[in-house]
Amino acid sequence: MSKKIRNIIIVETSEIIYEGIFSILTNTGQPFDIHPADNLCDLENLNLRAESGIIFINPLLIQNQIKYFQTLKKELNSTHWIGIVYSFIDPQILAELDGIVNINDPRHKIIAAIQRILDADHPDGNQKQQQESLSDREIDVLKLLVTGNANKEIADKLNISTHTVISHRKNISQKTGIKSVSGLTIYAVVKNIISIDSYRE
Amino acid sequence: MFITNKIFITSEMKTSDVLISNPYLVLVLEHLGINMEVREKTVEQICNENNVSTELFLIIANLYNGFKPSPISDYSFNDIQTIIKYLKSSHEYYLDEKYPLIQKYIEMINRINDHPEILMIGKFFDKYFKEVVEHLDYEDDVVFPYVLDLNDQLTRKNPEKSTINYSVTEYREHHDDIEEKLTDLNNLLIKYIPQKNDRQVRRKLLLCLFELEYDLKIHSQIEETILIPMVEKMEHLAGKRK
Repeated sequence: MSKKIRNIIIVETSEIIYEGIFSILTNTGQPFDIHPADNLCDLENLNLRAESGIIFINPLLIQNQIKYFQTLKKELNSTHWIGIVYSFIDPQILAELDGIVNINDPRHKIIAAIQRILDADHPDGNQKQQQESLSDREIDVLKLLVTGNANKEIADKLNISTHTVISHRKNISQKTGIKSVSGLTIYAVVKNIISIDSYRE
Repeated sequence: MFITNKIFITSEMKTSDVLISNPYLVLVLEHLGINMEVREKTVEQICNENNVSTELFLIIANLYNGFKPSPISDYSFNDIQTIIKYLKSSHEYYLDEKYPLIQKYIEMINRINDHPEILMIGKFFDKYFKEVVEHLDYEDDVVFPYVLDLNDQLTRKNPEKSTINYSVTEYREHHDDIEEKLTDLNNLLIKYIPQKNDRQVRRKLLLCLFELEYDLKIHSQIEETILIPMVEKMEHLAGKRK
């Protein structure tokens, strides 16, 4: 799962439906930032940027303003639109959306619909999740880091910029889940990257 | 953070129902010096009896249930004393109870599991513990006395200008993240440190770390979103800020 916070907007007038979707989304454990909106105009007021993620929308709210909807959709061209369907909706309107969630859908289907969108945005996301082992370069950086070198020294020794060292360190912490140098030292010993003797020194 | 039923606590709820919905709230009572025998009393009654502002109690208790605090509408001198009391009591809870227990569990694992990494974990924790003690001592010795002194000055108990040369801005900068290494420890124990017949103790250790992390997170939220803004207001009133 990508840890980037995603904006989700739920355009729905019924509080019951809003709370329902909100609770399903919150329970996925994904870092979503969820906002309510009552109608299409609200979307403009929310000051959306192009990358604003996913919008759940009741298609009835589009029905009479399809032109307006199409302009909005063009403006927010990387946003995914999911219809919340609980009554008969003109198929032409549904065709405007990227996906639909039916009111009777079980939880796992709704989560799967969101997951598909997240995965499509990060095609390598799934692989990254499994591939936790460090790259050779990251191991080089880790070795120097846990044997007491500062960023600048690591940069000099590996002939790379300090900026690159920092970015390697960020990746190392993200992959291992460990931020502190002393914690990483233990990781390096467990993984046989450094010997326990060099730690004792 | 623990998954609770996320009941949003209100003043007319029965305190006992609130506690049953999330037993960790017993800690809130303890930190505020409130007796646990709440009988049939509502939250508001309990607060009034114990001279604790209901608004403040609800903010803290709802933090435990996962609700972000809304800013306190009006600053009261009594609130400052309550918050400091709460924070001091939770310091005692960490230092006298939680950390020694973690230390004990690590020692126990060390006895069963002779992997050298466990020794390293012990050292890692001892070092981290020293940092925590330093951080908490700093708050107990510098920050809290400053805040209480400022409070006395404003309540005219001691109208003379505070002699302590300090500002909460300094505290804000000093306020580093003591939860980070706990997360490291959790990651190491769950993902990397080899196991060896230590399953039970390791589980106890993990749950204990988890509880501590939960409480620490709320602790720093109280400091950052309630205490610091309040003291900023106080500094303003005392003419230390423009």
